[in-house]
Amino acid sequence: MPDRRRSLIYWIVLSPLLLINLFPFAVMISTALTPADEVVSGDTQWIPSRFAWENFVDMWQTVDFGTALMNSLVVGIVTTVLTIVVSVPAAYAMVRLDFKGKTAFQTFLLITQMFSPVVLVIGLFRLVVGIGALDSLIALSILYCCFHIAFAVWMLRSYFASIPAELEHAAWLEGASAFHAIRTVFVPMAAPAVAVTAIFTFIGAWNEYALALAILRSSEHYTLPLKIAALSSGRYQVEWHHVMAATFVATIPVAIVFMWLQRHMITGLSGGAVKG
Amino acid sequence: MVPVLFILPGLILSAFIIIYPVWELIQTSLRKVTRFGKVTGLNDFANFEAVFSDTLFQEAAVRSVWWTLLVVGGTLICAAGIALILNEKFHGRAIARVIIMLPWSVSLSLLTVVWRWALNGETGYLNHLLEQLGIIDGPVVWLASGSTAFTVMILIGIIVSIPFTTTIFLGGLSSLPGDLYEAARMEGASHWHCFRTITVPMMQPYVNIAIVLNVIYVFNSFPIIWILTEGGPANSTDILVTYLYKIAFKYGKLGEASVVSLLMFVFLLAFAALYLRLVSKDPANA
Repeated sequence: MPDRRRSLIYWIVLSPLLLINLFPFAVMISTALTPADEVVSGDTQWIPSRFAWENFVDMWQTVDFGTALMNSLVVGIVTTVLTIVVSVPAAYAMVRLDFKGKTAFQTFLLITQMFSPVVLVIGLFRLVVGIGALDSLIALSILYCCFHIAFAVWMLRSYFASIPAELEHAAWLEGASAFHAIRTVFVPMAAPAVAVTAIFTFIGAWNEYALALAILRSSEHYTLPLKIAALSSGRYQVEWHHVMAATFVATIPVAIVFMWLQRHMITGLSGGAVKG
Repeated sequence: MVPVLFILPGLILSAFIIIYPVWELIQTSLRKVTRFGKVTGLNDFANFEAVFSDTLFQEAAVRSVWWTLLVVGGTLICAAGIALILNEKFHGRAIARVIIMLPWSVSLSLLTVVWRWALNGETGYLNHLLEQLGIIDGPVVWLASGSTAFTVMILIGIIVSIPFTTTIFLGGLSSLPGDLYEAARMEGASHWHCFRTITVPMMQPYVNIAIVLNVIYVFNSFPIIWILTEGGPANSTDILVTYLYKIAFKYGKLGEASVVSLLMFVFLLAFAALYLRLVSKDPANA
């Protein structure tokens, strides 16, 4: 059993960071539940005089939350489906098949992971303008997909490598075709890894801001981060209680899923260089 | 034929979004571009001259270096300590771990929106909290001057980079061979001695990778500065990425913005090469 004194010391050492991490969540929740007149009055209180649950209902209207939510869902789902469709065969080939240029492909993927969309944003912008797809959610999703392929292939690869090839070989010996063996043996074992990768891809697309800012132009096409950031920097009086309520709804469900899956993340992020 | 078919779609897509934009950047950087994005003739490197002679560019470049150095440095120091603690068993470790990883789970842009509200001049929650704790007497207008704004940004940058870095370090610490420590302990080595002669050298590859990846991520980091101040007040918090967005999408100077992009691309290419060398040296990955 770990001893008490040491535990206490560790908690004290960690406490500044723990407080700083919890602080924005406290601010978000407190403001989201504060009645409008108290927010405007400027008399900041952690616990409002009453919980203004109506902020969440009102926010849906004033922020046009439903539209932004739908946009984010469309972008997230299209990105995820495309990325998985492209990445699963590539990852399968990397662990099961031998081919010339495998190392080169691997290296190439690592390099693409190093280039965030931000540094290429002008080129991507001109590409999208060139094909007449500025302000298109689908164009944005396809770009997201391209940037997620490397991460997805790396993550899938390390999982697929842990599925023994012998099982498929055994199915072949029993007369199954290669395709049938993949379908009945490999797919069920790979499914959880695919699901985890899909969720990370979805969250990546859900959270992205910089590229969306360059590609999406009309506010009815804004994804949630864009919408909320735009509202918070409005020219007029910012309705902070609505903005915080919207931030809360856009953040908490995704945060919970992420916290739950976070231990799987490192494999993809560091390109297999660090075992997590 | 089959392997080629399997990897081809991924290869084409991910190659395309690197190669085409870079080609486009080179083209655009060498030419005159109208306000409406129409590219006309070559202009004798006028875009390069304009960028290099722009004092705002020079300031943003210097600030980018400071931003990257301070955020990455601060992150590494904090994350090393945190990982060493989280690697020990103690009461409530699981809870502490969840709270430390919290910023990682949230969209950086949304987290920054919350900070923007919390940093709000007179009545912001941060001022409220610091007054409650007796740390400050009157409200501080955090984002009104470049120096305080930039300091706050660096701190937020460190806070949000800690989870990823800590995870890399924890991965490294968990792979250290326990029997080595036991043997050293048997020989009478102290904790400190073990740390210096076993932990530090064996963690070196993980530290290297954390440095390179963090430099790449932090150098490209956009939302914190953009959402808090858009590089203001008076461009005093611009780094290269926000400068790039400003001249491209606010002022419509795509030619000059392409030059900035290309310079950043070359810098990142050098770091990507470094990363590749580090990864290929790792025996676990050969």
